[in-house]
Amino acid sequence: MKPPLDGAPPVPAPAAYVPHYTKRRTRNTLLTLGGLALTVLVLLLVDGGTSSKLKQVFALFAIWGIATVSLNLVNGVTGILSLGHHGFMLVGGYTTGLLILPAATRETLASSARSNLSDFSIGLSVENMLRGVGLDALTTPETLWARFLIALFIGGIMAALFGVIVGFPSLRLRGDYLAIVTFAFGEAIRLLASTPMMSSFTNGALGFAGVPSSFGKSVWWTFGLLAITIFVMARLKYSSYGRVLQGIREDEIASEAMGVNTSYHKVLAFAISAFFAGVAGGLWVSWVGTARLDLFLFFLTFYFLVAISVGGTGSITGVLLGTALVVWVRQYGDPLEQSYPLSTWVVAAGAVLVALAVIAYIIRRTRRLRPQLNPLVYVPALLGVGLALFGLYGSDLASLQTRWQGFGMRAITLSVVLIAIMILRPSGIMGRREFSWAWLFRERLDEPTEEEKRQDAWLSNPALAGKQEDADDDEEVKP
Amino acid sequence: MSASATSPKRRPWLPWLIGLVGLGLIAWRMFYLHGVNETFNAAFFSGAVVRSLQLGSLYALIALGYTMVYGIIRLINFAHGEVFMVGAFAAYFLFTKTPYSWPVAVLVGAAVGYGVMQFLGFFRTEKRDPIVLAGALIAFAVVTFALASTQLGWFAAMVASMFITGVLGMTIDRVAYRPLRGAPRNSMLITAIAVSFFLQNFGILAFSNRQTPFRPQSFWTSMLQFNVFGEPLYTSWMIVLVPVVTAVLVVALTLFVTRTRLGKAMRATAQDAETAQMMGVNVDRVIATTFLLGSMLAAAAGVLWGMTFGSINQPAIFGILPGIKAFAAAVIGGIGSLPGAVVGGVLLGFLENFLTALFPRTAAFGGITEYKDTFAFLAMILILLIRPSGIVGEDLSEKV
Repeated sequence: MKPPLDGAPPVPAPAAYVPHYTKRRTRNTLLTLGGLALTVLVLLLVDGGTSSKLKQVFALFAIWGIATVSLNLVNGVTGILSLGHHGFMLVGGYTTGLLILPAATRETLASSARSNLSDFSIGLSVENMLRGVGLDALTTPETLWARFLIALFIGGIMAALFGVIVGFPSLRLRGDYLAIVTFAFGEAIRLLASTPMMSSFTNGALGFAGVPSSFGKSVWWTFGLLAITIFVMARLKYSSYGRVLQGIREDEIASEAMGVNTSYHKVLAFAISAFFAGVAGGLWVSWVGTARLDLFLFFLTFYFLVAISVGGTGSITGVLLGTALVVWVRQYGDPLEQSYPLSTWVVAAGAVLVALAVIAYIIRRTRRLRPQLNPLVYVPALLGVGLALFGLYGSDLASLQTRWQGFGMRAITLSVVLIAIMILRPSGIMGRREFSWAWLFRERLDEPTEEEKRQDAWLSNPALAGKQEDADDDEEVKP
Repeated sequence: MSASATSPKRRPWLPWLIGLVGLGLIAWRMFYLHGVNETFNAAFFSGAVVRSLQLGSLYALIALGYTMVYGIIRLINFAHGEVFMVGAFAAYFLFTKTPYSWPVAVLVGAAVGYGVMQFLGFFRTEKRDPIVLAGALIAFAVVTFALASTQLGWFAAMVASMFITGVLGMTIDRVAYRPLRGAPRNSMLITAIAVSFFLQNFGILAFSNRQTPFRPQSFWTSMLQFNVFGEPLYTSWMIVLVPVVTAVLVVALTLFVTRTRLGKAMRATAQDAETAQMMGVNVDRVIATTFLLGSMLAAAAGVLWGMTFGSINQPAIFGILPGIKAFAAAVIGGIGSLPGAVVGGVLLGFLENFLTALFPRTAAFGGITEYKDTFAFLAMILILLIRPSGIVGEDLSEKV
């Protein structure tokens, strides 16, 4: 700071920079602790409750949460559309399932004539491995949890190896070509798993039952692993690696020009993502209790894609929100797929049409489109009201009495939601924001300084309004 | 992509060398197999060749839709396999009712004729052009006659299904893809996946949820037997019909793209959509036409597929494998290029069928039939890594 000249008042020192996360620290910590305690309380209630369905739904949410959060690392943070997540989950799931299979089930499989498993893979278990190392203490029935953890870890590592293999085409390909190649890899893994070459490990189309389901259906196991996944992913997102990955998403060529080894980071992202996908696959096999090929169809990746797109691409909290929606529709949507008389369906179709008209009207209002009531609004509305009335008053008609089953309604609902989200709000609910207490309370973190306020006042000066465009135009550099 | 920027050395003899060596190896393998087992005779291999050509034609028809859409709006239309599925099912519901009574046949014929008139009028400036009227009348006559007769029911079903499915393709474009013009390509791709899922499950809801027999009354699906060097080969007339219909449709498409105003507009849009728009091309209409044509070809492929194999799978899985394999064929041939799609499709047909015949199940070797579904993926990944522009395609690598 310069000494004051000829008696002028001293220039005030600029206020020290205060990072936003230091503000209201006590309150935020307390709220976070309270939230965690509330989560644990809810889990305790669910775990101690009588509803086993609710327990399963919570466990499934956590398992799919692990998968979506890991897919988010590649799709959202790195910006590479990966469609092969079901393949990684298959690798992890089959590895875990085979390694943790109880000895009794192994014996029945070994003596069964329909089993394709080779003697080598029958002998492949964590139990035998630990015996081989001499750790007999971990082979008792009470220490199954340790063996399951080891099996999950090995499954994750196997999936990560496949992730590295799938990551290599990403060095040469970009965008939708890469998406298609990851899809092809995912499908090829599933098709290869059913071939004679691999069925000595996977038992072909039959798969194997009897995987202990006490872990995949346990709320504590799944939520514990989900917490670890979220912790790792959040730390990774804000680490230097995460910044590099976000840089690759924003502009790959520019980040390469900045000296980033994009190849290494892309393969790394694929490997980490595949590791957690493998863990999720192991838990998923344990949740079902069976390793089967039809658990790992492309619909799995599609559900994760819906979760990511609805919640917000790149935002971990958003992705979890989307997962909750998808799991809710999947597990509680079976009323949609039951058999009802046709009149009920007609009324439902009318209600959907009316709802669409209302949504269209709200959109037109918020976008200030004129006229507010255009054919896009009133035609579906009138049609919907007509259909609903027809269904209600014509329910005695014989042709409306026939029962009709709504196969596939849940998937139809989810795909319509995805199309609508992509068209109306491509960034999803959360966008790229993460949840924070300040965001929840709509606090302004970056309170402008006096200098910035003066600049804002200068910029909003109406006398300068016409010239602002020139100031913003920094693309053309004039000599 | 600095490595691909350097232009490769010109080696015009390389394709010929690869082709000759490949043919030599194939001939050697065939003679060797014949020596191992008498059943691998000329009839066995010629059967494999005609079946490969048949399957390859079907892949080519589907791949044309992928390549046209990709060429125009740079979108991998994930839902194309499902459009193919809808085409097959639409034809199924049409021909299971044949022969129709004459009044119904006349009504449907008039509807199709009107559709043809609209379609032709779409790219003729003069609506009352004699060509338009003649086309509409021919379509009316053919469809009416075919619907009311027994033998040609499949043909009427195919024509009507092509129009229905073409309209479906245009609707998909209008509802799902047009609001996303200019959006990031990833969100367009995700939307396409969503449309594909929607159609799969809608098919289960509306059509059927199990494997469906697909046997229209037709002379073409009857048995055909001929002798190759004295050995009998049993197959059906479909091995003639499928390549012929494919050839006719491909020639018609080529004529459309090269000889009409709208075809010229399509080529201009594919080259540079923005400039084409400035030159007065109605780009949205061109894209709609692209979806119409691609979906029509897919519907034809769906009908031929069903007739070839005698049944169609349930809607949720019927479209996926043919669709993704046809996409692989389009990539192998060079996506964005029409001849590339045909070449890639036929090549993939041979890869899948003829290669399996070259490595059959013998006493010593288990055969590779179980692996043939993965060939398309592996070939596509290899092509993308070695020569991303495909066999006959132009370079599409991203520039700064």
